Amino acid sequence: MDKKTVTTISYLSRLKIDDGKEEKITKDLKNIINFVDQLNDVDTSNIEPLTNPLEKTAKSRTDEVTAKNLKKELLKIAPSSNEDYFLVPRVVE
Amino acid sequence: MSWETVIGLEIHAQLSTKSKLFSGGSTKFGAEPNTHVDLIDMGLPGVLPVANKEAFYKAIRFGLATGANINQTSSFDRKNYFYPDLPKGYQITQMTKPIVEKGSIKITVDNSEKIINITRAHLEEDAGKSIHDLFEGETGVDLNRAGTPLLEIVSEPEISNAKEAVAYFKAIRQLVTFLDICDGNMAQGSMRCDVNVSIKKSDDKELGTRAELKNINSFKFIEKAINYEIERQIKVIESGESVVQETRLYDSEKNETRSMRSKEEANDYRYFPCPDLLPVVISNKELQEIKNNLPELPEEKEHRYVKEINLEESEAKIISSSKTMANMFEEASTKTDDAKLVAKWLVGDVSALLNKDNIDIDESNLTSENFGILIERISDSTISGKIAKSVLEEVWKSGSNVDKIIETKGLIQIQDESVLEEIAKKVVESNPSQVTAYKGGKDKLFGFFVGQVMKETQGKANPQTVNDILKNILD
Repeated sequence: MDKKTVTTISYLSRLKIDDGKEEKITKDLKNIINFVDQLNDVDTSNIEPLTNPLEKTAKSRTDEVTAKNLKKELLKIAPSSNEDYFLVPRVVE
Repeated sequence: MSWETVIGLEIHAQLSTKSKLFSGGSTKFGAEPNTHVDLIDMGLPGVLPVANKEAFYKAIRFGLATGANINQTSSFDRKNYFYPDLPKGYQITQMTKPIVEKGSIKITVDNSEKIINITRAHLEEDAGKSIHDLFEGETGVDLNRAGTPLLEIVSEPEISNAKEAVAYFKAIRQLVTFLDICDGNMAQGSMRCDVNVSIKKSDDKELGTRAELKNINSFKFIEKAINYEIERQIKVIESGESVVQETRLYDSEKNETRSMRSKEEANDYRYFPCPDLLPVVISNKELQEIKNNLPELPEEKEHRYVKEINLEESEAKIISSSKTMANMFEEASTKTDDAKLVAKWLVGDVSALLNKDNIDIDESNLTSENFGILIERISDSTISGKIAKSVLEEVWKSGSNVDKIIETKGLIQIQDESVLEEIAKKVVESNPSQVTAYKGGKDKLFGFFVGQVMKETQGKANPQTVNDILKNILD
């Protein structure tokens, strides 16, 4: 974990780091990772990876359309929309 | 030293479920924008996705048909990236435990067969659709497609050229349509593919750096995009530079591929298990039931047609190449005792029309029902084969009902022999010189008389009957 990684991650997750805080955040993250890294001391070679802490399996749906047309309501709560679409600043040149 | 091409395909097949992978939103194509969007598809806070079992069943059918391993316990992961048509900021997919692993499929190129291994086939949700060209300075987002179930089918890098890639895509498309798990409609985006292309010197053990060509949705473009990309990579390497691992977009108008993303935006999807979803388990009973209900596959059909119906191998191959054509064949065969006649029409006239228009049978105006009527009318001698050809052409253009065409155009075959005799006599009487020549030994002139009678009856006479009648009069 170095400053460059922190900058990359903050870009990928679209989280802005205040100017001058990079050093501190890098140090904090390093400490957190070192702490969690202790788990690597345990030998897990014969253990199935855990995908969920609940020892249950998923309930599933039957293939039925249950949704209502919420177009008006959904478009209304968006920051920007017209009568048909959600609108965002243009994403291609 | 020659260059060798290594290609792998990632095919996205939209599973033909009624509702989405994790919500009760409809998957129907062509709806008004944003009318098939559930709260879950929107990724609103507090919602919980619940998996659609039918999507699993459909994926398993694919796995069984390709001899793959089925992971009866499979799980979901999040693939994180930001794009406006992905409302949650991540796509739910199967990274670590896909439902299907290690299958294979046979392809045929220039009469030689090759097995292409399938690394995996996993379930994931589709994104919405961005519309860039409709609004000034803004992008419109339609989330109807968001959450639609996709089966991503990943091949091993075992494809050696553009032709094999097309054959592989066609084989997968044929299979998923026969399995009834995807409609195979490429124009509507039900099947799309990403192509990974790299080149290497033929004695190199390691693969070269690959470029990924995104979202190609026609057979023609797959072939062109790959061939362009191979040429480009050879030029890059031969000029002393190296191929960059990147995503490229194929521009069909300019026939070229272009880099899509700038280098600093390197992909890092930071996959991790989706905490919203527990592992999905398929019971032995469910698996057995899917096995028991697998439909007849193209190759099995082909063999059955040859063995049980005595079709030529080439005929059986053409008919079983598409589900629609196979259905047409089987349905029309119930309307006649002569299945070989049905095959003859499909492989002959129907295929000729398809080739002429360069379309798929699904895109034509000919329906299974209408084709069945046509065969029935030929079989019961309502119309002659010659008239049937013109009826087929009319159906091809207008899609009208066969019986209606026969009725409005008055094409019913003249059955009454006395009427035909009358016409034949007239033809003979009005052509005395030909009669003399024929009787003097010019046997070939017999065809002239048949032709004249057919002309008089506008093709509505049964040629065999006309033959018999003319023989009686002339000989």
